[in-house]
Amino acid sequence: MNKLVVPVFGVLAAVGIAVAVWLVFMQAPLQYGFHPDGALNGSSLFYNQKIFYFHVAHAFMLFAAVFVSGVCSIAFLKTRKPKWDDVAMAATEVAVAFGAVVLVTGSVWAKAAWDVWWNWEPRLTMSLLLWLVLLGYVLVRRFAGPSADRIAAGMAIFGMVGVPFIYKMVGQDSHPAAGREGVVATLGPGMRAAFWISVAAFLCWFVALVVARVQSARAERELRELRERGLDLGVLS
Amino acid sequence: MKSISILATTMLLLVGIASAQPTGSATGSAADTGSAAPAAGSAATAPAAVDPVPAAPTSGAIDLRKTCVDAMNSDPTFAASIVETADQAAQKKRDADTLKAHTDADAQIKENSRHVVISYAAMWIIAALFVLFLWRRQQLLKTEIANLRRDLEAAAK
Repeated sequence: MNKLVVPVFGVLAAVGIAVAVWLVFMQAPLQYGFHPDGALNGSSLFYNQKIFYFHVAHAFMLFAAVFVSGVCSIAFLKTRKPKWDDVAMAATEVAVAFGAVVLVTGSVWAKAAWDVWWNWEPRLTMSLLLWLVLLGYVLVRRFAGPSADRIAAGMAIFGMVGVPFIYKMVGQDSHPAAGREGVVATLGPGMRAAFWISVAAFLCWFVALVVARVQSARAERELRELRERGLDLGVLS
Repeated sequence: MKSISILATTMLLLVGIASAQPTGSATGSAADTGSAAPAAGSAATAPAAVDPVPAAPTSGAIDLRKTCVDAMNSDPTFAASIVETADQAAQKKRDADTLKAHTDADAQIKENSRHVVISYAAMWIIAALFVLFLWRRQQLLKTEIANLRRDLEAAAK
């Protein structure tokens, strides 16, 4: 794997996040509801709406990571090639980090907007369950022994199947709607650029982290092979 | 004619109360608590209820106050109207205070940046911890691989 991938995507992410922060705090208006011609047709938003740009971007990356993990796990179960397992594991660990950010920022935003840290509505509960499944994946990889990769692959597929439900499970709870008529699709002009640049920046960040973790997984594999050689040669006991 | 006399007496009362108040003292304490009109015959205790720590009033103020108290004691309707006026003023003040409290709370919710700061801090802390975890693991692996390679090469020789 090209060693430039991580630094290049890391720099892209850093620049993108800096631009996104500038846009979010300096340019994006605190208003919503625009006509197609750009005229305001809604009302003012609270300042805590600024959390939206990173909370939702992290949620998108969480979904992307879970999807990558699920697809690579299917490929691994089918082919048993370790490269798929490496990517699945890397994506899942990154998903745990992104999921933690989603849950924490969402909780803080809920406190600011709804005056509750948490409520057990469907989307929040499903998101928490997804995160626990991902955490379970990591724990299985750590403690389940020789068959851990296959058990974990099954968990990753299970997690992936849950993502569409979380995405579509809206309109029934306090979250704003998703989809074509949802908040993201109907963002005003000033908000749209800030949001999508934020998503692009975190996508670069996601790629950099996954690739770095894959390199680490390969190093672990190399270490295991060296240990086996050491045992064969009698260097290790 | 009666209304003119009520107005004049009210003015006298207000001037009397104002001159009897020490500078910076609480105003309208009886009205603030929504207390009723002073009962007839209790005029002597009324000033103490208005201002628990009165400054030594001047003789002119004492005269004015006495005139007002006498007028209120002689005409319960007039006394009631005085108390009602004071209550209305106190209610206006309470309404203004309530409105200000709500306006402040509204502005605090709308403009509060505390939760935004907490949220962003959490995001960066989690990201930093994950990067630290990755970097540390990578360094340990590199060291271990290098040591093992060295040992294996030495054993092969």
